[in-house]
Amino acid sequence: MEFDWTTFTLEIINFLILVWILKRFLYRPVLDVIARRRAGVEKTLADAKRIEAEAGEFKQRCERELAQWEKDKEAAQARLREELAAERGRLMAALETSVAEERERRRVLDERRQHDLQRSVEEQGIAQGAAFSARLLSRVATPELEARLYALLLEDLRGLRAEDKRAVAEAAAAPGLQLRVQSAFALDEGRRAELARVLAEATGKTLPVEYRENPELLAGFHVSIGPWILHANLRDELKFFSGALRHAG
Amino acid sequence: MEAAAIWFHLGPFAITSVVATTWGVMLALTLFCWLATRHLTLDPGPLQTTLEGVVSAIETAIDAVLPGRAQLLLPFIGTLWIYILISNLLGIIPGLHSPMGNLSVTSGLALLVFFSVHWFGVRSEGVRRYLRHYLSPSPILLPFHLISEVTRTAALAVRLFGNIMSLEMAALLVLLVAGLLAPVPLLMLHIVEATVQAYIFGMLALIYVAGAMQSQQNLERNEEGDGNG
Repeated sequence: MEFDWTTFTLEIINFLILVWILKRFLYRPVLDVIARRRAGVEKTLADAKRIEAEAGEFKQRCERELAQWEKDKEAAQARLREELAAERGRLMAALETSVAEERERRRVLDERRQHDLQRSVEEQGIAQGAAFSARLLSRVATPELEARLYALLLEDLRGLRAEDKRAVAEAAAAPGLQLRVQSAFALDEGRRAELARVLAEATGKTLPVEYRENPELLAGFHVSIGPWILHANLRDELKFFSGALRHAG
Repeated sequence: MEAAAIWFHLGPFAITSVVATTWGVMLALTLFCWLATRHLTLDPGPLQTTLEGVVSAIETAIDAVLPGRAQLLLPFIGTLWIYILISNLLGIIPGLHSPMGNLSVTSGLALLVFFSVHWFGVRSEGVRRYLRHYLSPSPILLPFHLISEVTRTAALAVRLFGNIMSLEMAALLVLLVAGLLAPVPLLMLHIVEATVQAYIFGMLALIYVAGAMQSQQNLERNEEGDGNG
């Protein structure tokens, strides 16, 4: 175990040189790359935290917007409900108006139908009444009634008013005119002569007269002087009566 | 243990096999580190991962003893560990001897540790404030502090030298007595012993430096406590 000062001194120098070498070629590069990696990791972590913070902020903003959207939605729904209620009210009012109009129209139609029905019933009643009267009068249509109606005919012809006389005269003035006299029963010669004389007085001239028997008249006479006609029979009287009833209804 | 053989003379200096081995270690470490750290990337391969693991482990060990000063002490303490470990393991290779089996080498390293303790202590707090801790807690203890400084440095040198020298000598004796295969378990023990001795030397150096730096901090803390009291 010898102590060599040269070795001792050189070992000290060698070690100091080795310290420098390892510091230059080992510790510094390795520590640098570790520091760079650590910086990268820290930067990544910082970025991650920043992204997390941004994500949190974005989440909060989204939540706020969602809350605002919920409010807007509720307000819109409230407005929609109000509009629907108003629209429903308007439609209900229109429907009620339409229903009222329809009801009024139906009422008018019902009234008209009722009126028509009533009128039909009345006409039927009138017709039945007329038929009944006709049957009843046909049973009382006797030559005696015919004689009575003949008297009334003569009376009417003699009692014509002035304007009627003028009309009869104008009608009789037609050239080639032939008077027609219809009767329910056959007229004897005496009555024919008397009637011809009364007609001549009424027309103011003597015209040929055609006599014809018409049982449909029931009783009485139907005298035609051109367009001028004198009714003195039950059939025409019933017609006048029925027409008057219809007009009255 | 015979004296180291002189290989050649460099001027007035006689270059022994120990110094030549040290140069070889230095050259090998330099080449390896230069080649390994030429293209370091952020996505490391197996070799870069190993290097980063070694450096990080050394830094963590220093930081555990002296928090916040790992960057400052890493070159010195780390080089002690790496150099001593590799030198110790050289003894396994037939024909080579560990430089740590030479008292001149371990004494040189111990002397470096001795000066490093004071260097880092003074660098940390200044000369006057550093020297004050020799008078703490009482000036009476100054001789004991001085004796402690010398003896622990001598112990540091002799412990490493004695262990490595005795380990190689034991392996040699077993090889001579028991034959070729018998020293294999002893060589495995050599690996463990080489690692442990490197760790002990570096850790003791670290503790001494940390003691020098923290003793000043403790002194200040005590003074602050007295002032507040």
